[in-house]
Amino acid sequence: MAVSPLIVPGSGERGPHSKSKLSAASSGNGTPSTTLGSNSLKDVAEQMNEEEKDKYVKGKKVGEGTYANVYIGHHKSDPSNLVAIKKIKVQQEYKEGMAPDAIRELKHLQELSHPNIISLLSVFSSKDQNLNLVLEYLPLGDLEVLIKDIENIHYGAADIKAWMGMLSRAIWFCHENFVLHRDIKPNNLLIAADGEIKLADFGLARSFADPYRVMTSNVITRWYRPPELLFGAKHYSGAVDIWSVGLVFAELVIRNPYLPGDTEIDQIAKICAGIGTPTEENWAGVSKLPEYTVPSPTTPVHGPEHYLGMFGTAGPDGVDLLMKMLILDPRRRITAREVLEHRWWRGEPRATRNEDLPKKGPGSGLSRLGATESKRPGMVEGVARRLDFGA
Amino acid sequence: MAANYWESSQRRRWQFTREGLEDLRKKLEDEDPNLVQGYPLPQLRHLSIYFNQQVARLGKRLGVRQQAMATAQLYIRRFYTKVEIRRTNPYLVLATAVYLACKMEECPHHIRLVVSEGRTLWPDFFSNDTSKLGECEFFLISEMSSQMIVHHPYRTLTSLQGTFSLTQEESNLAWSIINDHYMTDLPLLFAPHIIALMAILLALVLRPNQTGVQSAGNAAGGLASAAHAALSSAGSLKSSNPDKANGSSRTKVQRLASWLAESNIDIEAIVDCTQEIISFYEVQEQYNEKLTREQINRFVKARSLDK
Repeated sequence: MAVSPLIVPGSGERGPHSKSKLSAASSGNGTPSTTLGSNSLKDVAEQMNEEEKDKYVKGKKVGEGTYANVYIGHHKSDPSNLVAIKKIKVQQEYKEGMAPDAIRELKHLQELSHPNIISLLSVFSSKDQNLNLVLEYLPLGDLEVLIKDIENIHYGAADIKAWMGMLSRAIWFCHENFVLHRDIKPNNLLIAADGEIKLADFGLARSFADPYRVMTSNVITRWYRPPELLFGAKHYSGAVDIWSVGLVFAELVIRNPYLPGDTEIDQIAKICAGIGTPTEENWAGVSKLPEYTVPSPTTPVHGPEHYLGMFGTAGPDGVDLLMKMLILDPRRRITAREVLEHRWWRGEPRATRNEDLPKKGPGSGLSRLGATESKRPGMVEGVARRLDFGA
Repeated sequence: MAANYWESSQRRRWQFTREGLEDLRKKLEDEDPNLVQGYPLPQLRHLSIYFNQQVARLGKRLGVRQQAMATAQLYIRRFYTKVEIRRTNPYLVLATAVYLACKMEECPHHIRLVVSEGRTLWPDFFSNDTSKLGECEFFLISEMSSQMIVHHPYRTLTSLQGTFSLTQEESNLAWSIINDHYMTDLPLLFAPHIIALMAILLALVLRPNQTGVQSAGNAAGGLASAAHAALSSAGSLKSSNPDKANGSSRTKVQRLASWLAESNIDIEAIVDCTQEIISFYEVQEQYNEKLTREQINRFVKARSLDK
């Protein structure tokens, strides 16, 4: 896999050619043995890296983001076999170290292998010392595109069940492996050529914390952020992802974001109005959370009739599942495993088969891929994309 | 911890046989015999002790928790299976490993802080330039094929504490044996649960009321045979242990032995592990910090690797 072309950390700057660490290191640094040694090391390391790099051909840039550019590429041996190449920008000549998003994405994608999670095919470094992540190519855009394209894309309860099934399995797999995704939203759910949904963007993901260790509450794009995070909780669990999954579910049904808050305060107001006001009665201990404030007067938690009116397409069982995902108290919210055991999946209609799912035509998906993988529409204030030294 | 050990890159890519590991290292040395001869180094376990001490010093200044220091040490060990140590500045490598491990274990420190602490600890060998560390981070990630999640034995120890009714002392001793195993090749050879069980076994056999693990060197022979007896009794579950049960530790060892016998755990591996750590404790007796430091500093200076 990836092997750096660098030779000796710290020895590179000696030569005037700081651009190429290889030539710098092998151009003699005072000891007779160096030249030979560096060369032979270069050969081995370079070779392995070159082999990996040579498998792919990088094509045009399809997206640009804060820490990476995304290119479309293909296997050299098979031009029809497309890949996405995410090239991580090295920040200001390494001065700030590797971007935490990049580190998180690498660390988790290296370990998680599941049909509903984007796969990392390879990693190599290029001449200019950038890390390149070779990801599977997902040409058909993302769920957000489908949801928004009301004109051309028509889908029903069976399709929603299929997409939700794939999302639920992905998140179950993450939690089973002690990973919190922390940024679930429709435009992080990419669609493969065969219709399979793939959870992408692990730039905010982290392992479950040990008990008593604090985590930052500044994660998850606002519209999908659960009340415990809005109230500043520093200890939380997989329930944060489940809330986001519930809101993706709601959005799939009504084809609009269900709780599109303009600010964090507005987000809390939208939750109070759309679901109910979190109070000590429905969530013991909530008022002790650091940033707990709710608008008055309080709204009682809506019952099934409210949801049936709005999300009736999903059927009574679907609505039951949705309501359980959107339980205010994270301790009572349904878990990923319980989601998969819910009766909705077994009832009618059956989930649509992948090949029959509504799709956006290929071609138009290209630009989305880049945008999704790097840009983040709908994110005004930004989530914890930087290292949070407080947590 | 994250993800599943059995599916992990640690198991698939970073677990070696002894021979495999030896080959890797030999290949590195053979690439440039002159370099190796020109700068003799103490044996690897002594180098590891030195790195462990330096990581601990840096970790202490930064307030790094044990798990991140363990991760850093494993990064260093993985890295040096790929890169000849005499081509690197070990002080930069170990500070970088600590920096990256902290990011990985979600207890990050700013690069500038790590650099300034490194500079305080090793003023003659450490540059003020953060880009050096950033560059080394890139190098480290690349050499590890960006496989950075590490599974440690600590979690197994914690979860088995109740099963074997370990006292606080016994469990502390097992914990420190786990800390020590990062100075050996064990984390590249065995699964974390094997290491944890080895640590529990040794802790029970050693009994915490003895003067401590450091003195184990002299008693190593006796210790090894005691551990061995316990394990062979695990091999033949039916045959009752002829030793007179003597105190609760003894019966705990027996309980561990029968637990192992019923499990599918590779007992041979635990025996192997036990011997490795015991021989490490013997080698530790001969450790000479001054000599080790001088030999490292010599090649760093002579080859201007600190620049």
